[in-house]
Amino acid sequence: MEESKIDSSVGFSPKEMDSLMKYFVGNNCKYREQIIIPRTVGPIHIKSIDEKRVEAVFESCAFKSLVASVMGYGLGAALGLFSASVSPNITAPDAPQQTAREIFRDLKFSTLSYAKNFALVGLMFSAVECTIESYRGKGDWKNGTYAGGITGGLIGLRAGLKPGIVGALGFAAFSTAIDYYMRH
Amino acid sequence: MAASLPQLDVAKMQMVQDLEIEMMSDMYNRMTAACHKKCIPPKYKDAELVKGESVCLDRCVAKYLDIHERVGRKLTQMSLQDEEAVKKLQGEMPKM
Repeated sequence: MEESKIDSSVGFSPKEMDSLMKYFVGNNCKYREQIIIPRTVGPIHIKSIDEKRVEAVFESCAFKSLVASVMGYGLGAALGLFSASVSPNITAPDAPQQTAREIFRDLKFSTLSYAKNFALVGLMFSAVECTIESYRGKGDWKNGTYAGGITGGLIGLRAGLKPGIVGALGFAAFSTAIDYYMRH
Repeated sequence: MAASLPQLDVAKMQMVQDLEIEMMSDMYNRMTAACHKKCIPPKYKDAELVKGESVCLDRCVAKYLDIHERVGRKLTQMSLQDEEAVKKLQGEMPKM
């Protein structure tokens, strides 16, 4: 059988083809300075490595939980202050009237207590939700429900099994409702 | 393992570069289509990527590139085997 003549100016010999294929498809890990991206509508912005690092920090689960706990602290402080100032202080009728200092101390304790609780709840909920979302790889409504269930369960389990279950269901329903309200 | 190009002349290098651009852009298009279909649900509530979606996209791209490389290696292996088989047959044919 006559060897078919490969026109070497146009095509590649099979050996060259093999090494070309390895070159193209192989994991070369080349650092390309000019990345060719097919043209789509709108400008193409390739993020630098620093931008990506900063974004990774701001979108990480830890940072999000921190932000949620700080917001919870603020909300809890406001709520604690409000609830302490409107709740009546029942004292014995012949006890001396409360000084302003005592009232302020009372307000402070109530504020701090509420703030700490809310911060803890916010931290737990946000951390759990972020972890579940990262694990599932989807961003739908179930993440909030599952996270609320777990958080409510953890909080309620301190008081026993039944309060744990009730707390889990209640918090999950609450979280779902809030999510629904926020999105629609 | 990185493979290096064989020594080629100018015309062939030109072809190699064209081929590379075509291959890379084809792979990019297919990859974006596949990962978009898998990871981003069709109902959009927000313009930004949610954390779950971006995690899914990271995983999708990593898997796609890994599979791309493995299939390519397997293909070159198979084509080498084919070539050897053909050579053997050609070697036997003149005897017949």
